Amino acid sequence: MAPSQPSSGDEEAFDIVATYRRLLSEDPDLTMPVAAIESLIVGLTNTPSTTVSETLDLVSKLTVQLKSGVSNPISLSAGTDLFQQYLISNLQRARGDFDQARSHLVQNGRLFIERAKAARETIAGFGKHFVRDGNTVLTNGGSRVVGALLRNAAESSNGSGRGSIRFRVIYVVSHSATGDSAEESETAANIAALRERDIPVAEIPPTAIAYCMDMVTSCFVGAEGVVENGGVVSRLGTYQMASLAKAAGKPFYVVSESHKFVRLYPLGQSDLGIEQNIVDFRTARSSEEKESAKDEGVADLEGEGATSSRRSCTPGDEVDYTPPRLISGIITEGGVLLPSAVSEELIKIWF
Amino acid sequence: MPSSMVGQTPSLTGFLKSLKQNDIENSIELFISLLKRRQIKNSRPCAIATTHLLLRVVAEPKRKWDAQKLIARVRNVGRRLIAAQPREMAVGNIVRRVLGVIREVAERDEDPLTDSEFSGSASPITEEFQRPALPTRFSEFSPLHGAAAMPHNMHSGRPGTADSVSMDLGGTPQRPALLSTNASYAGQGPPGTSLFSILQHPQGRSPVATPPPGTQSPVTGPSPSRRAIGGEIPEKLDIKAEVIDGIKELQDELDVVDNQIAESALDHIHSNEIILTHTSSQTVQKFLLTAARKRKFTLFHAEAYPNNHEATHVTILNGAQGEDDSDERWKPLTSLGITVILIPDSAVFAPMSRINKVILAPHAVLANGSLLAAAGASTIALAAKTHHVPVVVLSGVYKLSPVYPFDTDELIEYGDPSKVVPFEEAEFTDKVDIVNPLYDWVDCDLVDLYITNLGGHAPSYLYRIVADHYRVEDIDLNAKLDAVAKKG
Repeated sequence: MAPSQPSSGDEEAFDIVATYRRLLSEDPDLTMPVAAIESLIVGLTNTPSTTVSETLDLVSKLTVQLKSGVSNPISLSAGTDLFQQYLISNLQRARGDFDQARSHLVQNGRLFIERAKAARETIAGFGKHFVRDGNTVLTNGGSRVVGALLRNAAESSNGSGRGSIRFRVIYVVSHSATGDSAEESETAANIAALRERDIPVAEIPPTAIAYCMDMVTSCFVGAEGVVENGGVVSRLGTYQMASLAKAAGKPFYVVSESHKFVRLYPLGQSDLGIEQNIVDFRTARSSEEKESAKDEGVADLEGEGATSSRRSCTPGDEVDYTPPRLISGIITEGGVLLPSAVSEELIKIWF
Repeated sequence: MPSSMVGQTPSLTGFLKSLKQNDIENSIELFISLLKRRQIKNSRPCAIATTHLLLRVVAEPKRKWDAQKLIARVRNVGRRLIAAQPREMAVGNIVRRVLGVIREVAERDEDPLTDSEFSGSASPITEEFQRPALPTRFSEFSPLHGAAAMPHNMHSGRPGTADSVSMDLGGTPQRPALLSTNASYAGQGPPGTSLFSILQHPQGRSPVATPPPGTQSPVTGPSPSRRAIGGEIPEKLDIKAEVIDGIKELQDELDVVDNQIAESALDHIHSNEIILTHTSSQTVQKFLLTAARKRKFTLFHAEAYPNNHEATHVTILNGAQGEDDSDERWKPLTSLGITVILIPDSAVFAPMSRINKVILAPHAVLANGSLLAAAGASTIALAAKTHHVPVVVLSGVYKLSPVYPFDTDELIEYGDPSKVVPFEEAEFTDKVDIVNPLYDWVDCDLVDLYITNLGGHAPSYLYRIVADHYRVEDIDLNAKLDAVAKKG
């Protein structure tokens, strides 16, 4: 567990990264942005503040700590950004009664979690419209929202009590060498839930995606973050699936709650702002080649602290970026968005 | 088929005439049976008929309306009309536009009542504090509401820019006040974000039909704010008159839509271009005629066999003869010196490499940018894609539907199979299943530009136009109006 970097003037005892991780592990249904918001709220509770600017300052310090303490901060930054903007807009307004505003935030911690979960249920409610009789759905594992959507489609009935949509699911399951537990157990749980509801589920390795694409009707994936241009940052393998779906002419839907919209505009896979050691060149001699591969010119530009503060992603947590042209639609709790509509949503909270 | 001049229009004129004589319920029934029997078909006649019918419904003599009842009435009528022929999406579009008009009028009327509502907002706050409302729906940008599985909830506020100055929220952690520009959708900025929805104070309630009550900042000035409708006593006569005005504007829009589209013809058609089109669409013909007055070009016209080829031949040879409802006469393109080459549909791929532009007219446009057009359009669009030929679609905004196409197969209407293989060939028909789809679904990737009466738009921009013209709460006409609305 990474210790939070001590910053001057803060309560040393409050470790936001530890709180964040604790929240995530305690509640498996929690998404990263919501956990980030929750941990910021806990931070606010523990640290008394009496003025607006003090609060905002505190929040931004905590955010910086949190982002630097986690290897892949894209998803949680959606939550922290949202929270900060909300604070800025709200607190500046409620000048008269700052305490009340603050206490509202503090008290309603639970409420936010409830709402986020309810968002997932709303999205799942759309499930039965997307999945029709005879469809074959392709998905990759681990997304709770997709699991809920498919379960909902499986359960939706016309009053007969049994699910009335007969569809099949192909799950892309990658058995990584490290036996990554979180993703695999989530996938296994989803698959088991579907099979219990009489939905035939096939598990395929990622190498078989192209092979099975002919029989697929549509693809659904979850996301860690939806970026400004309508693309998504999601589990490694999503970009591959999207490219293959596009080549085969199959619709590719991203299922994501709206609080995962993040203000990032990546131009490519290496532009995500995180370090992932996915492509690791080695020779017979050693892997120390890595260090010398860093361009000195670039290193000068970036300064010293920039790259060293990011740690690499743990294997199994890697993400990739899927550009918007491969995405047919983003299913959120407010309906189905075109990728081009995402930036407008983001602009509205930021400006 | 795109709106054509053939066949069904006598029924439209007959229906419009009968509107004046019959009472409302009979008119509704008549229209429903016309729709069911497909005696009135294609987008424009259906849109015109729906508008006139709804005008009659609203203008019911001796009936006083308040906004809520009017909305409920129009919704009911709309539901029946849509159920009669779900594939005629223009009917649903017009119903939703009218509902939008009513809501706009109602909100405008409530503007002077802002302050009184505000003071009464204290109690709702506490009572709703306990109730975690569902995360609010997205802003109007959800181009399509998934045939709403869920009621569309709360509308959340946004850090208004200009409005923030005038806020005076006395301490309760109000959510950022709604931008007040959202009352009228006609081209104004959409309302506040709901990305904040997860953090909002739960007091923003979840009216399905109405915007959330109460906690508005008292916005002074002419900008209307979104309020619970029906709370105060609207001036009932005013509502009726203003809604009637709004519907008449809709009628006018339908009348001039082709002319407005044709205004941009010169921008898109240049001298010595070779253009490909198909079917006998009025809109396309007028567009080309406007350009033909100043430019010389060549037209490849695919005949759209078997459903529209006769009409196409007539159009090419004679233009419009004025026997239809529009009573228009216009000359055929050939009389203006344009070379028109009639080709069978199977031949569209061959000359495509020499074609500069494809112009299509749709039956309906869906909010994700895809469209339904006469059968054969998909082939043309795919051929155009292969040869990198731009595809331009001419469509009035009334054809743009906010409903998301979850299953595009369902939207395709099938016609008379005897046009493909006549029933006389009994031996053949015995062994083969013959289908005659009237429409084709063309994906948004294949379309380069939409020219509407509001100008030209990219397919990815259509969600904005949908948001500007339709209210989210109207997209699903089957959703129940919220109880909040009724508590008045």
